Amino acid sequence: MVDLARVQKELHECNRDVQVSGINVTLKGDSLTHLIGTIPGPVGTPYEGGTFKIDITLTDGYPFEPPKMKFATKVWHPNISSQSGAICLDILKDQWSPALTLKTALLSIQALLSAPEPDDPQDAVVAQQYLRDHQTFVGTARYWTETFAKTSTLAADEKIQKLVEMGFPEAQVRSTLEANGWDENMALEKLLSS
Amino acid sequence: MDSEDDMHDANDMESVDEDFYSDGDGYGGDAADSDADVADYDFMGNETDDSDEQAVSRTQKNYTVLKEEDVRQRQEEDMMTISTLLSISREAACILLRRYNWSVNKVHEEWFADEERVRKSAGLLEKPAVSLSRVIDVVCGICFENFIPDDITSVGCGHPFCTTCWKAYITTSINDGPGCLTLRCPDPSCDVAIGQVMIDKLTSGEDKEKYYRYLLRSYIEDSRKTKWCPAPGCDSAIEYDLGSGSYDVTCCCSFSFCWNCTEEAHRPVDCDTVSKWILKNSAESENMNWILANSKPCPKCKRPIEKNQGCMHMTCTPPCKFEFCWLCLGAWSDHGERTGGFYACNRYESAKQEGVYDESERRREMAKNSLERYTHYYERWATNQSSRQKAMADLHQMQTVHLEKLSEKQSQPESQLKFIIDSWQQIVECRRVLKWTYAYGYYLPEHEKAKRQFFEYVQGEAEAGLERLHQCAEKELQTYLNATGPSKDFNDFRTKLAGLTSVTRNYFENLVRALENGLADVDSQGACSKAPSSKNATGSSKGKGGGRGKNSTKT
Repeated sequence: MVDLARVQKELHECNRDVQVSGINVTLKGDSLTHLIGTIPGPVGTPYEGGTFKIDITLTDGYPFEPPKMKFATKVWHPNISSQSGAICLDILKDQWSPALTLKTALLSIQALLSAPEPDDPQDAVVAQQYLRDHQTFVGTARYWTETFAKTSTLAADEKIQKLVEMGFPEAQVRSTLEANGWDENMALEKLLSS
Repeated sequence: MDSEDDMHDANDMESVDEDFYSDGDGYGGDAADSDADVADYDFMGNETDDSDEQAVSRTQKNYTVLKEEDVRQRQEEDMMTISTLLSISREAACILLRRYNWSVNKVHEEWFADEERVRKSAGLLEKPAVSLSRVIDVVCGICFENFIPDDITSVGCGHPFCTTCWKAYITTSINDGPGCLTLRCPDPSCDVAIGQVMIDKLTSGEDKEKYYRYLLRSYIEDSRKTKWCPAPGCDSAIEYDLGSGSYDVTCCCSFSFCWNCTEEAHRPVDCDTVSKWILKNSAESENMNWILANSKPCPKCKRPIEKNQGCMHMTCTPPCKFEFCWLCLGAWSDHGERTGGFYACNRYESAKQEGVYDESERRREMAKNSLERYTHYYERWATNQSSRQKAMADLHQMQTVHLEKLSEKQSQPESQLKFIIDSWQQIVECRRVLKWTYAYGYYLPEHEKAKRQFFEYVQGEAEAGLERLHQCAEKELQTYLNATGPSKDFNDFRTKLAGLTSVTRNYFENLVRALENGLADVDSQGACSKAPSSKNATGSSKGKGGGRGKNSTKT
């Protein structure tokens, strides 16, 4: 059985400092075994500005077995399948430890976005491009981020506009929206409580 | 061993082998001849009766069979040695030994060279990294619940986890496989090893048993000098003296295998050839060859078609349905009276004369030949294999049932009937060798004509000799087994069978040696050089002129 008490603790812990980490975990449905994690693309990478959703499934053995994680957002990265979103990361496989958490796993994925390991690829096509034609790789990765990992700019602008009109500074509005996966209501709550 | 050596000397003096090899009649000849042969070996046969040696072994044993208890005992001894030597706990000794593949010397060496480094790499701490003293409330690092220190357990490092989480952590790892032997503290930044104390404290029943089984297995599997016997159901292991001649070992379960590749014993063929042969036997490649040899691709859709009956007018299966001529592979619509009609295609004949089909025909022909060639060797390899299995069953039957019966019927003590067991053991061994000579033959290059001819000759002789021995041990024995009372000529039978056993043993030993030698004594001109010893298979057949047709072709 999944240790539900622990999962609940984790969710609580993770969403408490979402402002700082930008990492967010929410329920997918009404079960604690299917979750959606959100990570902001790291600054200074082709993924900057994107918000990436990670599909999380907890098996019965959790936390003694690793959580199953894959990208729900399409992403162009040597260690992530451009087709299925499967992630090649040691801590999600044999290096998992029950002392790790969903948050630390998501942080590791975020770190993987900053530092790809093309010599141990999940997606051979992407890895080859990364090594042989880095410029094209950066272009494609950025294009994919723009296309798949950003709430359409138009809609985003509208949301920012709305909150700015309520009297919040634009920079704060943007970052709060980003941190909350562009959910207007949640961002508003955060803005009001901050 | 001594008696064996004596026997070889005796062989040399009698130059039994020379007779045997050089004179084709020595083996394949008529019965009168063979009786004469047998007489020669009379005293040898008796000597075999007295010797306790196995039928086949002829070199000093360079390996030891270890039963499960022996393995356990050795493992325990090694742990005690290290524990005493380094003044560390038995648990720590076990962790260290595992880290260095159970080599006592290596542990010793490394420890005294740099204890700190060894401790670090094996995960043995001297003092805890985290101290929990004077803490009232501890959070378990896995379930994040609060506990009083009494409910918290940790290994050397002191990282705190509750007993429930520890149990789940260890159980999960044990059920994941032998990796549980290198289990470390759950804290991702901590490398401290988890040893037997924790296992004993936190696991029980099946999980604990599994852990100790993995530990026992690692003692054999991690060491370069030991391997488990690959026979199904056998729990013994073999310790082999590295770098010491023949790889053939025989476990106490009577299974013989090659220590190097753990396939069944395969002298005179080398390990590479064996793995190639086994791969070939299982490979799909032969199916491809069959398709190539027996089918043609439909000229339109390219699917392979086998023609198993009927006329040359072919209609491909739907959806293609292309109608074509099997001979020229042209469209059937182009065929008619003009081109020779239904049964013989002129287009094909004339094109063939012009050489249009040569290339694809040749390839098909080659594939067909190569398949036939492989089938030839494979069939004989497999037949000897099943023959050997049968012989093993017969040997068992002989040991358990017939020997007693025979002893009664012929009023002979069982100890005097050992020559029968010897002969059956020899048959089993010879079947094995003969089987592998077919793999050898398959890989013997086609262009080495002299070697091939010679090989086929000695193989043929070996086969004939073995058949005679097998016949004698199987059929002739029946007479004495079915007799109502002691037979007068039972002693003659003893002499004959013991003689045949010994002759066959020598022949096969020489055969193995010659093949392992790569038939080096056959030179490229197809003539045989004079053999360096009377034992050598090439013998002096030249001098004696060879009584048989086959023989004379090689001289």
